[in-house]
Formats: sequence, structure tokens, C-alpha cells
Amino acid sequence: MSSREYLGEFEQIVLLALLRLGDGAYGVPIRREIQLRAKRDVSVGALYSTLDRLEGKGYVASWFAGPTAERGGRSKRYFRVEPAGLRAIRRSQDALAVMLEGIDLKKV
Amino acid sequence: MQKPPRLACLLLRLRLSKAHYECIAGDLFEEFYTRHRSASWFWQQALHALFPRFRRIEHFEPITKGDPHMSFFSDLWQDVRYSIRTFRKQPSFAVVAILALAFGIGINTGIFTLLNAIALRPLPVADAGRVVSVYQSFRGNVGRNTYGSINYFSYPEYLKYRDQNHVFSGLAVSANAPASLGGADARRIEGQIVSCNYFDVLGRIPALGRPFAAEECAKEDAAAVAVLSHAFWTTQFQADPRVIGSTILLNRHPFTVIGIGPEGFAGTGMIPGSYWAPVTMQKVLKPGETMLSDTNTSWLEMLGRLKPVVSLASARADLAVIAGRIDQAYSGRTTTLSLDRATFLGEPEARTAVLAGGAVALAVVGMVLLIACANVANLLLSRAAARQKEIAIRLSAGASRARLVQQLLTESLLIALAGGALGSALTFWSFQSFFRMVVAGLPSDFPPLALNLSPDLRVLAYAVAISALTGILFGLLPALQATRPDLVSALKEEGAGFAGAHISRGWLRNALVVAQVSVCLVLLIAAGLLARGLQAAQTLDPGFSLKGVVTASFDLKQQGYDDAKAQQFHRQLAERVSAVPGVDAVSQSVVAPLEGSSWGTVIDVDGFPAGQSIRFNDVSPGFFPLLGIPIVRGRVFTEAETRQGALVAVASEAAVKHYWPNQNPLGKTFRMGREKIPVEIVGIAKDIRTRDLAHVDTDFFYFPAKLDNQSHMRLLAHTNGNLVATAKLIRDAAHALDANVIVTAKPLEENLELWRAPSRMLALLIAALGFSGLLLASLGIYGVVSYAVAGRIREIGIRMTLGADAGGILSLILTQGMRPVMWGVIIGFAACAAASRFMSVVLYGVSPFDPLTFGGVALFLTCVAMLACYVPARRATKVDPMAALRYE
Repeated sequence: MSSREYLGEFEQIVLLALLRLGDGAYGVPIRREIQLRAKRDVSVGALYSTLDRLEGKGYVASWFAGPTAERGGRSKRYFRVEPAGLRAIRRSQDALAVMLEGIDLKKV
Repeated sequence: MQKPPRLACLLLRLRLSKAHYECIAGDLFEEFYTRHRSASWFWQQALHALFPRFRRIEHFEPITKGDPHMSFFSDLWQDVRYSIRTFRKQPSFAVVAILALAFGIGINTGIFTLLNAIALRPLPVADAGRVVSVYQSFRGNVGRNTYGSINYFSYPEYLKYRDQNHVFSGLAVSANAPASLGGADARRIEGQIVSCNYFDVLGRIPALGRPFAAEECAKEDAAAVAVLSHAFWTTQFQADPRVIGSTILLNRHPFTVIGIGPEGFAGTGMIPGSYWAPVTMQKVLKPGETMLSDTNTSWLEMLGRLKPVVSLASARADLAVIAGRIDQAYSGRTTTLSLDRATFLGEPEARTAVLAGGAVALAVVGMVLLIACANVANLLLSRAAARQKEIAIRLSAGASRARLVQQLLTESLLIALAGGALGSALTFWSFQSFFRMVVAGLPSDFPPLALNLSPDLRVLAYAVAISALTGILFGLLPALQATRPDLVSALKEEGAGFAGAHISRGWLRNALVVAQVSVCLVLLIAAGLLARGLQAAQTLDPGFSLKGVVTASFDLKQQGYDDAKAQQFHRQLAERVSAVPGVDAVSQSVVAPLEGSSWGTVIDVDGFPAGQSIRFNDVSPGFFPLLGIPIVRGRVFTEAETRQGALVAVASEAAVKHYWPNQNPLGKTFRMGREKIPVEIVGIAKDIRTRDLAHVDTDFFYFPAKLDNQSHMRLLAHTNGNLVATAKLIRDAAHALDANVIVTAKPLEENLELWRAPSRMLALLIAALGFSGLLLASLGIYGVVSYAVAGRIREIGIRMTLGADAGGILSLILTQGMRPVMWGVIIGFAACAAASRFMSVVLYGVSPFDPLTFGGVALFLTCVAMLACYVPARRATKVDPMAALRYE
């Protein structure tokens, strides 16, 4: 059950990216956000397999919309964080915060 | 920037679900275009999406057991190791096969490298995939001045396309403009006049200084500035950076040097340029014509850089609209544009010709490769016979036939790839110097060529593909044959020679010999015909005398001479040259015989459709006697007619036969040019060959040297003395009149080289290929007959015991060995007959069915084949009957 309750690091990063982007969260901006902030160059395939997993757990929802010419007329797949996803990220963050209590990483 | 790789897209579509494909491909496209990603980035992303197991370890998913891909790879690895072990055990086989294939694949790669450099390689510009060449062709009512090719554009047309298109981020034009470089080292240099955005469109930044600025093309003669090529700067100015801002003389006109081109860049044409200047300097650099304002003159080649995201198809559609608008000014004319990714050879007609020639060349070297393949296939068959027991054991132990074929194919592919690697490596290593040697053999006035012969991805892909194809070609049939043995008899090891398999394998071997012999015969006959043609060309009578004639041409146009001044120059020069010791006749003509160019115009003749196209030469009266061209009827021009440019003509016999058959043409008139000026025929000259050594000039006319062509005139002088010395005296005489004029003086006979050199090189090349083919084929025949003899030793022993003598055995083996050879000869003859149409283009004075060549080559080949049969056949007669009977 642990994997249901706690998120992996990359899953957290992806969920936080979705929260940051709000309405405009689809593949390209998500990858750019992760690259700019977390300095991680993540491949398209890896991102979508993570998003698929999160969607399977009911943490995110997705829908297709907004085809453009430069996408060769293909739709974007937008993502939104669901309440369950929000709860999961809070849980993971809280767990981290508890574990960090009383530790100053800069001094260790 | 370019399009996303199509193959990667296709793979994504095939492997991913529809929903995943939609969003993943969409994301990749969007990022590719908006963030200017490279094709390799696209591939990397696509592969990550396709094969999760290539991802970094954190995303690794365990590979399921029994994955068919994995077992294929482990099998392959097993086969490769097994093959290498067998090659080690029998290295001679591998070495012979690899060498034969290296030779065949090497020459194929070489020819492809050349073709690639000429017609396939993208231009040396930034992001070459987005640069397209534009040409136009016309249908219907076309009357158009042409410099270079009718597919080029006029300057006003260019401006329309440049300003009205929506698809190019930039559109540039260029035209070749050889110019006379003034100063201490006066000579002709190649160069181009270009639109001022030329370097911007190509995305090449000058190594020093600056490119042209837009205002330098704003109006005619706006700026006399030039960018020099890096190579010219290095050789002429020792790479002195102070050259920027200094002045050079081009066509006697001072040009300020503003920049030095990027290193290794010599323009976008086949002829490397030494300078670039604004197109608006046309009057100085292409003197004598006013092309800039003329709307209906072809002289500029167009190159455009596509805007991001714009496809070639939409660019075509956009430009077609503009072409339609331009057509409105010309009733009955339709313009068709052709847009293609730019290469060194963009011009459609030349491109078609080169690609067709390249296809023929590839076919020829492909035949040699085929012979090599047949040989290796034969070797494999012999080897398979020797390995029959091994194969039978593996089959009976339960190996599937497919598995065995895979094993055997792996072996042949390994051999082919090794051969391909060796051959290609040798080619890349030696081709540059080989090409330089060939170029050095060309006549001196052949233009220098800038070809990048280093291998690129396309050449490597070709080499790998042809090697793999070769491996399958020679490997598949023997592999299929070898894995179908009669298990019982093979296991008993009782003479594979008597089994049924032997007979069917026998026909395959014989078929291979037939193929080898016929291909070899075609090559040798082609080489023989070319050699005979050359021999004929040495003695071919062009219809006029080249002996003792020196020809000289001058760059009067580039030196800024007007027609009157040019006429005066020629008159004074003729006087001076007449005084040269040994010179007994002097004359002028606009075209020197066999110099490789000719002038044409259109005429109207009664009884023929308007606008008959003819070829002509403007000559002075002395032209005919000087070259010994007989006047059949009538007279030649008078001096007075030449001076006034009278409207009279001397027609060639062929022209008379065409336009005025069975009539007296003297006194007849025709109307010349678009102005329809009436011209009267005063004489008929015998037919000669001045345009093309292979063919008599048809529809040819001579006109008196007109005033407006004076600056193009060549001088012809006949001498009893030394030709080279006379050429030098003519040069001195011209320099005494004007020290700046650049003179090209040479014996007229040198023009013959222009025609002979290509067929001589072709003959040498094909003969070399033919003889190597013969060597390979005779090895093949030897192998086949030896094998047959070895398999029949017991039978021969029985025959001898029963009383057959050595002669009988010899003739038995020879007849059987020679039968496929004879079939090969017959098929080869048929193939030669089929190819004769192509051959006749390069043959001078020899029929493509020349019996001497056909007979001689066939006899020669049969003798060589006979020898290849005789050696093993003789071994058969030495068989000791008792030993043969016991032989097992």
C-alpha cells in the first residue's frame, strides 16, 4: 500500500508542475516547467508514462483540446490535478516535513 | 530548420496507441518547430517514447522472458561467433570472397560518391534542408533571350517573386560572371554576381569584413564592391587582412573589397567562384547587354530559404500564383515552376542528364558487382557441398531449416559487410586523388570543378545498403540449396556428387557462369567499341583542315570595348598577325570550329512553319579558304559585304537539302530573327563538323561578320611554322595593341581533345572494369569445372577403364564446361544489341554493331574461358583409373 499512499519524487515533481501551470498544463509547458525549475530534462515518453500512471491512480484527469498548425493539426492533452492527487501530494509533503523535523541539512 | 524526420513519425504511429500518438507526436512537433529542435533530438525523443527499456534506469521495466526480439539477437550473436570460427578455420575462402566483393562494392561506392557530390549533396550552407532552388519552364508561345539556360529568371521576375511570395524568409539570385582581373597578374577569374541578400539567405557569414548591404543593390551601378572567396584571398593576396577596403580591377573597373567569404565556400555553382559582386553591377561584369531591366531574359538562378513550418508543396503553390500573374503579360505562355531542395546541380535539364548518366554508370559497375557476387555464390556452393554432412547432422538433430538458413545468411552478410567496409574504405581513401588525376587529364580550358568527394551519411548508407543487398543476393540461393539435402545419402557420405542434389546444384552453377560471361562480354564489347571509336576519331575527317591553324580569343567585352573599337582592334590585329613570319592566311569567326559552343537563331522559310531554329557562324571571307572548306556553288562574301554586315548568307549543303530540296537556292531569301530581316543566299558550302565531332552540322548557315558581334570574334591564322611559337607571337601582337587584353591562343587541333577526352576516359574505365570482370569470370569458370571434375573422378575412372582415351575425356569435360560459356556469349550479344542506342552517342565513325569488335571480343573471351576449362580438364585426364575406382 505504500506506493498508493506516498508518491515517488518524479511523480511529485510532475504534480507540482501541473499545479503551477493551472489551465495551461499540457506536454510541452509541463516539460519546460520541469526543465526550468528542477533542471531535469525529461523525455516525452517518460513524462507521459508517469502521467498515465497518475491518471490510473485517479490523481490527475486529462482531456484533448486545442489542435494547432505547428502540432500538425494534433490536439493537446491537457492535465488537471484531481482532489485525490492533491491529497496524495499533501501526504507526501507532510511525511517529508515530519521526517525533516529537527534536522538542519545545511549543518549535517 | 527542417521537417521532423518522417521515419520517426511513422514508427511512432505504428507503435503507439492512437491517443498516445496524438499527444506525443503533437508535443514533439510543437517543440520541434517553436523551439527549433534538431532532427536528432526528435529521434532521441521518439526512441524514448517507443522503447521504454532505453530509458534511464529509474524507469526500467523488466524484460519479459521469451521475448522474441531477444532470442533473435542472441541467435544472431551466436551465428556471428560461429561464422567467425568457421572463417578462421578456412581463411582462404573468406579472404578470396571479401577481396572480390571489396572490389565490386568499392567501385560502386566510388561512382555513387561522384553522383552524390554532383547532384545529391546539399549545398554547403547553413541548414541546407530549408534552402530550395527554383527554376521555371515554359509551354506555348515562348520567345525569350537566354543566357545559360531558359530555365533561369530575369531580374524583374526575380523582384516580383522576392516581394510577392509568402513562403521564403529570403530569396536570392546569382549568375556566373567570369571577369578579367586587372593588374600585374591579369587573367580571367570565375565569379558570380548575386543579389545583396545572397549571404544572408545562405546563412554564411564572411570570414572577414561584411556581406553586401541592401542599398548596394538598390539601383543599377549602385556600388562597385566585391566579396572575395577565401581560396582566392589566400592564393592571390596571401591571406592579407589589409585587402579589405583596397581596390581590385574587374573588367577594368575598380571594385572595393568589402569582405572575404567563409573558408571552404566557393559559391552555389559547380564552378568555384573567386569573387561575388552585386547583381546591379551587371553592365560591368556581364558587359555588352542590358539584362537588369529586361523582363523576358533568362539569366539568373534563384535560391530561397523557406520560412519555418512552410512545406515545399505550399511554397510551390504560393509561387505558382505569382508565375500566373507574370504569365498574364505574355499571351499563350504557361510557366511551370520547379522547386527542389538545392544541390550543386539544380538546373532541371542538366540534372536529368547527369542522373541518367549516373544511372548508366551505376548499371555498369553494378554488373561488375554482379560478377563478383556470382563468384562468391559459386564459392559458397562448393563450400556448402563440403559442409553437407555438417548441415545434415544439424537438420537431423532437429534444427529448423529457417534457423540454418539464418546461420548461412549471417555468414554471407558478414562476408559482404566486411567486403563493403574494405572496398568503401579503399574508395574513400583513394577517390580524391583518382578524381584529381582524371581532372588533370581533361583539356586545359575545361572549367575547374568544385566537388566535395568526402563521404557523407548518404554515401555511407548506400555502401551499407549495397553490401547488405549483395550479401543476401549471393547468400540466399546457396543457403536454400544447401539446407535441402537428401539426408540419408548425405549422412552416409557417399559421394554427394551422385546425389540428385548435385544435378540441381549443377544448373545453378552453370547459370551463374552464363551470367558472368554475358556481363563480361557486354563490358568488353563496350570498351572495344569505344576504343575503335577513338581510333576512328584520330583519323575522322571533320570536313575541314585543322593542320597549321592557330585560334585565338580575346576578352574584349570584359575590357569594355564597344563594337566599333573591337572591329578596329581586330582589323589592326589581323594586319599585325599577317606580318608574323610563316603566317599565310588570317580570318575571323564568332565561333572557332569544335570549340564546343555554337550560336543559334530562328528563321522563317517559305513553305515551313515560322521560327525554324538554325545554327550559324559569323565569319570573314577568308574563313572558307583558310580551313579548306569547299564552296560547292555560288560565292563567299566579299570584303565589302563583311564590312557593312550585308544581308547575305552562305548555306551548308544540309541546310539547302532541308529547306530548298531540288531547287536552285542561290538568290532565294529567308527572314531572320524576330525582326524578320530578309537575307539572300549567295553560296553553298560543303557540310563539315564544327559543332560536334560525332555529327555533321545540319541546318547551318554562315553570315558576314556583323558589327555587333565584333567583340566576340576569334582570330584564326594559318601558318607553315611552329604552332606554339605562332600562338605566342599572336599573343604578343594583341598585347602590343592593348596590354590588358587577356588572350587565349592555341593550335586548333587542341579542340579535338575536347571531344576525344571523354570517350577516352570512358573507354579506359570500361576496359578496366571489363578486364577485372573477365578475371573474376575466368576464376568462376575454373572453379565450376574443377568442382565438376572432382565430383566425377569415379565416373572418369570407370570410363578410362572401359577404354576411353585422354582426348575423349578432355573433350567431354571441355564441352560440358564450355556450354554455359557459349550461352553467356549469345546472351551477351543480345544485351549489346539492346544497349547499342546508348553507345552510339559516344562513338565517332564506328557502328555500334562493329563486327570486328563483336567477333574479336567474343573470340578472346572464348579463348580465356577455354583456358579456364582446360586446366582442370587436363587434370581429369591424369586420373589413375585404379585410384579413381578406389577413391571414396
